[in-house]
Amino acid sequence: MSEALAIGAPTARKREPGRLWIVPPAALLALLFFYPLALIVRQAFLDDSGVANVAEIVRVLHSRFFLNALVNTVTISVAATAGCLIVGLVLALILAFVPFPGSGFIARLIDTFIALPTFLVTLAFTFLYGSAGMLNSGLMEAFSLPLPPVDFLYSTWGVVLAEVTVYTPFILRPLLAAFSLVDRGQIEAASVLGARPFRIVRQVILPAAVPALIAGGSLCLLLTVNEFGIVLFIGAKGVITLPLLIYGKAIQESAYQVACIIAVVNIALSLGLFGLYRFAAGRLGV
Amino acid sequence: MLVWSRSGRLVIWVIFALIFGVLFLAPLAVILLSSLADQWNGVLPNGLTIEHYGDVARGAAWNAVKASLVTGFAASALALVSGAWAALSLRLQGPALQRLLGLLFFIPSAVPSVSVGLGLLVAFSHPPLLLNGTIAIVMIAHFVLISAFTFGNVSAGLARLSPDFEQVASSLGARPAYRLWHVTLPLLAPYLVAAFGLSFALSMGELGATVMVYPPGWVTLPVSIFSLTDRGDIFAGAALTMILVAATLVLLLGLERITKRATGA
Amino acid sequence: MSAAAFTGPSVVDIDAAKVRGAGSNVHFDKVSVAYGTHVVLHPLTLDIAPGEILAMIGPSGSGKTTALRAVAGFVRPASGRIRIGATDVTDLPPYERGLGMVVQNYALFPHMRVEDNVAFGLRAQGADKALIGERVKDALATVGMATFARRYPRELSGGQQQRVAIARALAVRPRVLLLDEPLSALDAQIRRNMVEEIARLHRSLPGLTILYVTHDQTEALTLADKIAIMRDGRVCSHGPTAELYRRPPNRFTAEFLGRANLLPVTVAEAAGSKGFATATHGDAVLTGAGRGEKAGDKSLLCIRPQHLSLTADNEHTNRIVGTLREVHWQGELTHLVLDVDGTPVRVSATKLPVALPEPGTKVPLFFAPADTSLLPEDAGV
Repeated sequence: MSEALAIGAPTARKREPGRLWIVPPAALLALLFFYPLALIVRQAFLDDSGVANVAEIVRVLHSRFFLNALVNTVTISVAATAGCLIVGLVLALILAFVPFPGSGFIARLIDTFIALPTFLVTLAFTFLYGSAGMLNSGLMEAFSLPLPPVDFLYSTWGVVLAEVTVYTPFILRPLLAAFSLVDRGQIEAASVLGARPFRIVRQVILPAAVPALIAGGSLCLLLTVNEFGIVLFIGAKGVITLPLLIYGKAIQESAYQVACIIAVVNIALSLGLFGLYRFAAGRLGV
Repeated sequence: MLVWSRSGRLVIWVIFALIFGVLFLAPLAVILLSSLADQWNGVLPNGLTIEHYGDVARGAAWNAVKASLVTGFAASALALVSGAWAALSLRLQGPALQRLLGLLFFIPSAVPSVSVGLGLLVAFSHPPLLLNGTIAIVMIAHFVLISAFTFGNVSAGLARLSPDFEQVASSLGARPAYRLWHVTLPLLAPYLVAAFGLSFALSMGELGATVMVYPPGWVTLPVSIFSLTDRGDIFAGAALTMILVAATLVLLLGLERITKRATGA
Repeated sequence: MSAAAFTGPSVVDIDAAKVRGAGSNVHFDKVSVAYGTHVVLHPLTLDIAPGEILAMIGPSGSGKTTALRAVAGFVRPASGRIRIGATDVTDLPPYERGLGMVVQNYALFPHMRVEDNVAFGLRAQGADKALIGERVKDALATVGMATFARRYPRELSGGQQQRVAIARALAVRPRVLLLDEPLSALDAQIRRNMVEEIARLHRSLPGLTILYVTHDQTEALTLADKIAIMRDGRVCSHGPTAELYRRPPNRFTAEFLGRANLLPVTVAEAAGSKGFATATHGDAVLTGAGRGEKAGDKSLLCIRPQHLSLTADNEHTNRIVGTLREVHWQGELTHLVLDVDGTPVRVSATKLPVALPEPGTKVPLFFAPADTSLLPEDAGV
């Protein structure tokens, strides 16, 4: 399908039929993705008669439900990303530098979480930490408590914990790749010279991990801002994020213009984080 | 190699076991357990049963499995063709256009799935492109969301492919189409299979866009799981989740085996 | 494969190769290559005669690989034309140029057996099935890999993979064979054997024109009929291998092609009818092969380490004195490093006097005028 000459040719050929091959997939993407995206923006700014509707935009952007969802989204995303970075770093350090029999298999197992649906974890947490879950039943039986003592699941923190589980593999993967490139001889040399583990981690290992942490972290920010299944499944009244609000407005209230206005904000936020991720990944060569 | 003392290593391994157990092992185990639980009033289920699997099998589960598999297959196949096509033809462009288009093909992975669904509803609810309420719109939504991953996988494969292979093929007289079919695509095969597997897995678990656009009668596994748990039938939801997990894992392992056999590794 | 189906000449058929060779010269006509504003190859004009092995050597970034890739068609010249035989190939895609190419990492197709790799070019060109079978057999026999036909490339050693890569290139009966650093991925020992094998191969295919790009001067000296030395995107010298080694036209060539001692001298008397000039280095009056220097010119006298001797005889009429600094015994050879008025001079000797002088002592060195050559003093091209 390609013009053979184009491979490695530094200067452009005069006739290049090969260039047109990009048109079909690009057109498909334009029709199925960019055109709908443009219509969301159009519907956000214009009302049904095609007139700019600034008042509605201002009303939505100042509304309590929108601001609440925005704050929730950002809080959850930042907290979950921080959690992922810490958990991912600890697990990666152990898997890479204090390996145990079967640690390779465990790393692969954690990796398969990337392929599993995100709401699985939420469902499991309901059985574990829900009001009738294992933890609460256990505590109530053991201490004869009248009410379930553990009640974090239906709050922001339940969502954050679930997202940490789901998105830690996205940090673990680049970190393990980065650690596999750390020179083992350097660590052994440092140990022979009497450096303690913490010092080695700080001075030898962490610098090698920084690119992976930044790229993985910005990817986590993006994915957690966009997360929908976990929040929907927890179904806590107080925990509404931007994607959930868009779903509610469009499907449950049929308020399409409101949904579109919120979607524009959400998409802008996501694209900003995507830019950050690409910049970080490109800059650091991850 | 970092911690030399035996006790120190043991402490670290216990910490690892705790984090791994609480965050990763417990959820999987508990889903499996609850899908088999008879009744669950205490710390552990009162008894085990496979009744939930029977229930979901008699109910709409089979339709949900079918809807998910068909959607996943169609969307992944289309994404594979489109992603591979895009990645291959992108190499023929000038460097500036290559960077720009490469970025554009990645953007669908950055946009929240709910917004993708919303966009499709807004765009395809009127003639001449009336797709709202059809199965096609579900497949389109899945295709859009996974297209960036197949594109990314194939691009990564191409970047790792030494240009020598294609250049030697050309110098031996292979025309572009022959070279593509006999050299480039076979060498890319592992990446194509991996891309297909990842797309399929992502499609099987897709929820955000699907709840926006699915028509009655085409309820995918995640949507049925949600409606089951939303009704309070969490044991049946757990059983259906296990079916989803099993289907995904069988698929991924099967594809991995095929790749291994094909590449003789 | 039946003999009746065998229509083409065998790979080892010398007469056929000669016929093919008639149209197989390569001509660079002011070919230049630039990446953006960065010129990697300045206008290059060069001829490779039919059946000739031309080695292009030079340091990395000197433009040698670019020149080869321009012949192959992977790099488009910014200006100039490239002709193979009578055909102007400048605008032809690589797959219409009728070349064979072997690259550093062999690039054997990993998903194909050895025989399918070798058959690739013929199949791609839609050749007859019987012909393909015959050609594959011949090509593999030529490189001594006939028994490996059913293997996969990953089951072969590096040297074996390289033979298959050569067989794959030969199977299409190319007019010109392009070898791009073909041996640099091999161990030193295997490399030496492979160089000799390629030389043998070329003797059995005398009509095959070969462009051999390498940074290794030993490979070039062993194989090439002619050598082109590249530097900074230009040809710095070009000529028959022995000539270029014996009478390097400039300092870069002298030092890149083997080792050279370069003694600064002042020309005392221009070259006479026999081509020898007289020059002075300090007190020493030396005779060397000149190239048109005039009396009073500053020049460099080039003498190879193996041509310096510690003992005088009838031919070794030139004499200089240096201080012995170091002695390195390397088995076959012994290297002595001397200081001749501030210029380090290296001597490689197979035989040495039984009693070696101590480091620090003054040692006379003798050499024959015929083994020397005067070079322009400037370091440039």
